[in-house]
Amino acid sequence: MWEKVKDITRGHSLWMLYYCTGCGAIELPPTMTSRFDMERFGIGPMATPRQADILLVTGYLSTKTLRRVIYTYEQMQSPKWLVGFGSCTLNGGIYHDSYATINQLDQYLPVDLYLAGCMPRPEVIIKGFKQLMEMIKTGEADGWKQYQDNREWYRENQKKALGDLLYTTR
Amino acid sequence: MLQKDFIAKIKQEFGLDPAHIKAVAEKKLAVTVDSGEALSFLIYLKNIDFIQLSLITAVDWIDENRFELVYTLVSWEKNLTVSVSTFIPRDNPVIVSVRHIWPTAKYYEWDINEFFGIIFSGHPEMGNPLFLEGWSEKPPMRKDFDPQAYSYERFPSRKYDYKVENKGRVIE
Amino acid sequence: MKEVKLFHGPNHPGMHGNFSVHLTVDGDTVVSARPNPGMLHRGFEKLMERRSWIQNIALIPRICVPEPDINEAVYSMGVEALAGMEIPERAKYIRVIVLEIARIMIHLMSIGGIGGPTGLYTAPNWGIADRDLFLDIFEKLTGHRVYHMYIVPGGVRQDIPADLLKEIEEKLDDLEKRLVEYRELIFDHPILHKRLKGMAPLPKELALDWGITGIGIRSNGFDYDVRKYDPYLVYDKLSFDVPVCDESDAYSRLLLKFREIPQSMRIIRQAIADMPAGKVRIKLPGNALKWKVPKGAVYSRLESSRGEYGYYMVSNGGLTPYRVHVRGASYPQSLYGVEAGLPGTRLEDVAVWLDTMGVCAPEFDR
Repeated sequence: MWEKVKDITRGHSLWMLYYCTGCGAIELPPTMTSRFDMERFGIGPMATPRQADILLVTGYLSTKTLRRVIYTYEQMQSPKWLVGFGSCTLNGGIYHDSYATINQLDQYLPVDLYLAGCMPRPEVIIKGFKQLMEMIKTGEADGWKQYQDNREWYRENQKKALGDLLYTTR
Repeated sequence: MLQKDFIAKIKQEFGLDPAHIKAVAEKKLAVTVDSGEALSFLIYLKNIDFIQLSLITAVDWIDENRFELVYTLVSWEKNLTVSVSTFIPRDNPVIVSVRHIWPTAKYYEWDINEFFGIIFSGHPEMGNPLFLEGWSEKPPMRKDFDPQAYSYERFPSRKYDYKVENKGRVIE
Repeated sequence: MKEVKLFHGPNHPGMHGNFSVHLTVDGDTVVSARPNPGMLHRGFEKLMERRSWIQNIALIPRICVPEPDINEAVYSMGVEALAGMEIPERAKYIRVIVLEIARIMIHLMSIGGIGGPTGLYTAPNWGIADRDLFLDIFEKLTGHRVYHMYIVPGGVRQDIPADLLKEIEEKLDDLEKRLVEYRELIFDHPILHKRLKGMAPLPKELALDWGITGIGIRSNGFDYDVRKYDPYLVYDKLSFDVPVCDESDAYSRLLLKFREIPQSMRIIRQAIADMPAGKVRIKLPGNALKWKVPKGAVYSRLESSRGEYGYYMVSNGGLTPYRVHVRGASYPQSLYGVEAGLPGTRLEDVAVWLDTMGVCAPEFDR
């Protein structure tokens, strides 16, 4: 019963990591500032992954960014949620035949909610976040538990796509 | 400076074959030189006020078995753009580096080395990665590299189940 | 004398876009800096060789994300130069209006963007909200907020209705009253004077040596602007000024962006008044998907908000382009400028330097 109260309060104050990983990030500042205000729902931007709840993957991921996103996702404290923004996270989108971008985000990290479009409007982001809040209250959004249970499967897929998981500094 | 005066000036001072100079548009020229005298022509152009190097491009002519390197220079005072192009063989692509003349050429040449495999002698970073990380195949911008096969094999894509109801026809 | 290695990394509140710089600092001063690009690399030049001449228009706006219209304009100008096409006069005036509205929008966003490095968070709220009102105009005209796909080889996709022109003029009048408030908030602010004046200087010799174009060279006294020196479309028939400054530091570069907004408004008002009637698009011969462009090579360029933006296009007489090379406007200052210009500055000025020099990651990563 205590879990249900915690789920309700978690759903009302989500902090989003402000990390612009791809071209969908151009619609994030209009969502956060005064026209389509996101802070009235309790969602605000946060600078470090240690204190954030949501990781928003905005668009495509090149292999160089995927290494850093896996590193960031594993640094966040659970419970944590991941939202795939844009059609490129679903099936590769317009860059499906490019040698540098991945085609399906589901294989490397667990995704709780997808927002399709190229690119989605700010109203779609707010509607998606409201749906995520409902899913948190009912307990449906448990991607982080699946990542802990099936860790070997995710690791094997990540190694197949990237080769070497630690990023090499020059 | 008018374009035809400039063409006359470089024909006289540098002794170029007039067939190798072409006026592409009103303020744009295209000049072709041999790879041996490319460096001295570029130094000569820098001394007569072409101080900005806009771009270094490489084109892969696989059917003729050679690479083409194009240096685009801009002069604001003279109001002209010159594209200098040279050809080097595809089996052993080596050319001298111009980073002592224009310092930003260091990154243009590093870019071309990573994507085409052309070696610029005298450059400290040949073979090191700049844009790609952990790349072990052939240089990706060459014409015999297929990106779709690489992408479908290494990054598997989502499977949708659908059935075809009405097959269309091909437009000729 | 101990040197520490820091990553001014991809996830940073003062960084615009996904680009990281590896710094070595000694105390508070930067000793050496090394750029690490490539996080937004998608392989555009290879993808453009696999799609036909008309299909590329759907792919190209994504190369420069904050200002997508310049990609379509420079691609269409290059294809028209190769094929020898001459577009109607009305289409040229409409292209000028669209490009200048895009310039106003990105200047508003980057003046507001000073909030990240300095901490004045009112500025992005204002800048991005005012930019959103112009995105409504693009939505009525083309159907999409950000990636328009409106400028095509042969003209523009469809005509602009008369009441939309009236709405553009009303929004420009409103913006003119708002610019007074921007000046009071940002440019007359005593804390920003202490924070930005004299910081991150760019000497004249280095700017010429590195081949920097746009704001970096105009804040050093030279008035090099492609719209005046190599006019394209109808810029030789419109009258406007090009603002310059004498000394280049972070404050004067920001002020120059602010002073270019009234000049763009002047251009738009003249273009709306002088626009002739007529067609806006010429039809391509035969089937547009099987159109072949004659052989040749051309370098076409235009003046974006950050400098000279150009495409070098090579055609082999086939259905798809043979080679397209993109020259991002901030290529010199992002890669070589970071290596040679950052050592010697303080650690807290690195974000200010990267913001005011106009580093935009997607256009040099391609």
